[in-house]
Amino acid sequence: MSLLHHTSDDAGLATAAPAVSLRGLTKSFGRDTVVDHLDLDIGKGEFFSLLGPSGCGKTTTLRMIAGFSDPSEGSIMVGGKNVTATPPHRRDVNTVFQSYALFEHLDVRGNVGFGLRRKGIDRRAIGQRVGEALELVQLADRAGSRPAELSGGQRQRVALARALVNRPQVLLLDEPLAALDLKLRRAMQVELKAIQREVDITFLFVTHDQDEALSMSDRIAIMNNGVIEQCGRPEDVYESPTSVFAAGFIGTSNLMPGTYADGSVAVCDGLRIPVPAGHGLGGGEQVSVAVRPEKIWLSELTPDMVRVPGTVVSSSYHGATTQYLVAIAPEVTLTVLEQNLPRMSPEDRWTPGSRVELGWLPEHAVLLR
Amino acid sequence: MSARSRRVERRPAVAVAVTVVFFAWLYLPIAAVVLFSFNSVKSLSTFRGFSTRWYADFVHDADLVTSLVASIGIAAVSAVGALVLGTMLALGLSRIRSRTGRAVGAVTLLPLVTPEIVTGVAALLLFTGVGLKLSLVTVTLAEITFSIAYVTVIVRGRLAAMSTEVEEAARDLGCTPWQALRLVTLPTLVPALLGAGLLVFALVFDDFVLAFFTTGVSPQPLPVRIYSSIRFGVSPAINAVGTVMLVLSALVMVLALIVPRLWGRKSSSLDLITGA
Repeated sequence: MSLLHHTSDDAGLATAAPAVSLRGLTKSFGRDTVVDHLDLDIGKGEFFSLLGPSGCGKTTTLRMIAGFSDPSEGSIMVGGKNVTATPPHRRDVNTVFQSYALFEHLDVRGNVGFGLRRKGIDRRAIGQRVGEALELVQLADRAGSRPAELSGGQRQRVALARALVNRPQVLLLDEPLAALDLKLRRAMQVELKAIQREVDITFLFVTHDQDEALSMSDRIAIMNNGVIEQCGRPEDVYESPTSVFAAGFIGTSNLMPGTYADGSVAVCDGLRIPVPAGHGLGGGEQVSVAVRPEKIWLSELTPDMVRVPGTVVSSSYHGATTQYLVAIAPEVTLTVLEQNLPRMSPEDRWTPGSRVELGWLPEHAVLLR
Repeated sequence: MSARSRRVERRPAVAVAVTVVFFAWLYLPIAAVVLFSFNSVKSLSTFRGFSTRWYADFVHDADLVTSLVASIGIAAVSAVGALVLGTMLALGLSRIRSRTGRAVGAVTLLPLVTPEIVTGVAALLLFTGVGLKLSLVTVTLAEITFSIAYVTVIVRGRLAAMSTEVEEAARDLGCTPWQALRLVTLPTLVPALLGAGLLVFALVFDDFVLAFFTTGVSPQPLPVRIYSSIRFGVSPAINAVGTVMLVLSALVMVLALIVPRLWGRKSSSLDLITGA
């Protein structure tokens, strides 16, 4: 199954209609364009995340797919059917809202069964499906409770069950974990992913939390200013960002701006950083080199590494890792993340002022225009 | 800790005295009305023993009973009418985001601060102007107009506390806009609606000013009837009527406070008004 998802980028699902297909989707409020000619295909059964800062247009995109907001331009297909002008109640999608939006006057069972009753399904079948849905989110024992009596995490599960029980083509999730505390959020990430595998429904997940997106998604689209900056598997988006924004938004990245010439980037006088070939640059272009903090080594450097001398500015201990700030030029400071391995003693840590040599493998340096 | 030390602190005698005088001033006259309604003689100054003769007088006074029934009817119809119109207004206002909408919203609250006597005179001029015969119908129309603002304030308060996503969730789960209103929004508002309805009932039931200006000759609402009867000398039967009104109003108020709580809410809709 997961193999299929990973190839959906290429031609793997070309024959089946995508679960969601957006073409030129645009939303403007007056002169403000919030979503700008979005093209996107989401495969059946895929866990897809729209990741971006607040105001990037991700929630507006979700609301247009749900039908709460009319596109200014473009089209929306769900399961091969054009739903651009279809009102929300006749779209085969369901939403898990950020505020959960539970119906306070109904108990948990009434909430979860609400959509099925609207569809006119007979009562026995509703009872059975509601029971299964509550089983799935481990809330079978709270079926008779009012939403007001539930904890935040339980309310979240009710909202999830209420949407899932309808077996929509696509489940839309609008930052559903944002209101939970960190520990519960981590647990729900794992659970949500497991539930998605079990029900095999397409999830479109909107979040500003890169951690959530990386850990759960089959694919991620990074949105900024109404456009998709980059779209791909979590490991591709993380390892090979294609824009300065993408590199900065997912994880931390050391950006070294400079001028490209002859296979290396001149960051400042006397500091040239070699970069891998194959980018088609001529010379003289302004570019940035990006290296992830955990890809930089401070000891046990190998001969094939790019080496740069520097001075430790500060070090902070984070338990599993130690984070150093290392100055390699007057204006350029790199963040370095070093694992605190079992064989290392606290004395092995660098102290501010130490002269060090940094090294990274050439392929870990990403050239960004 | 601080609570305990405060309890040990001596209460200033002045504060205690002021409080006692305040409550005496507030409730002694009412207590006197209740007490003398059970007087066995026709005196408003000396109490001679317990009797229910004035209640019997009241019950056998067809005019007074008609007025009591009329007042209950006016209050009930006004509560329902104001509830329907006020709720519609609140729902409409909550959907308008423009500046004009907000201005309209502010204007609808004007009846809350307009002196009632002005509203009364205005209503009288309107009804006579359009040639409407003054009767219990005109009283009810005036009372509904006056009470809409109370309902709107309470319902808007509840609507504001309700996420707009709740209605969207209903539509997401297969409701047309009308079904979303009927199946989700209104049921969610039930405690506020009950509270608002009972409040309007209590306010209208003993309202004198509007009723006085807009009523016809017969039958008259109870407060107007009482006022006109004491001009020809006070009968202790009026005390009995007053006591009945007091009990009825108090009962409705208690219901307005309790019913929303029975719905499993932490706060009642009346908290908006009492500020609790």
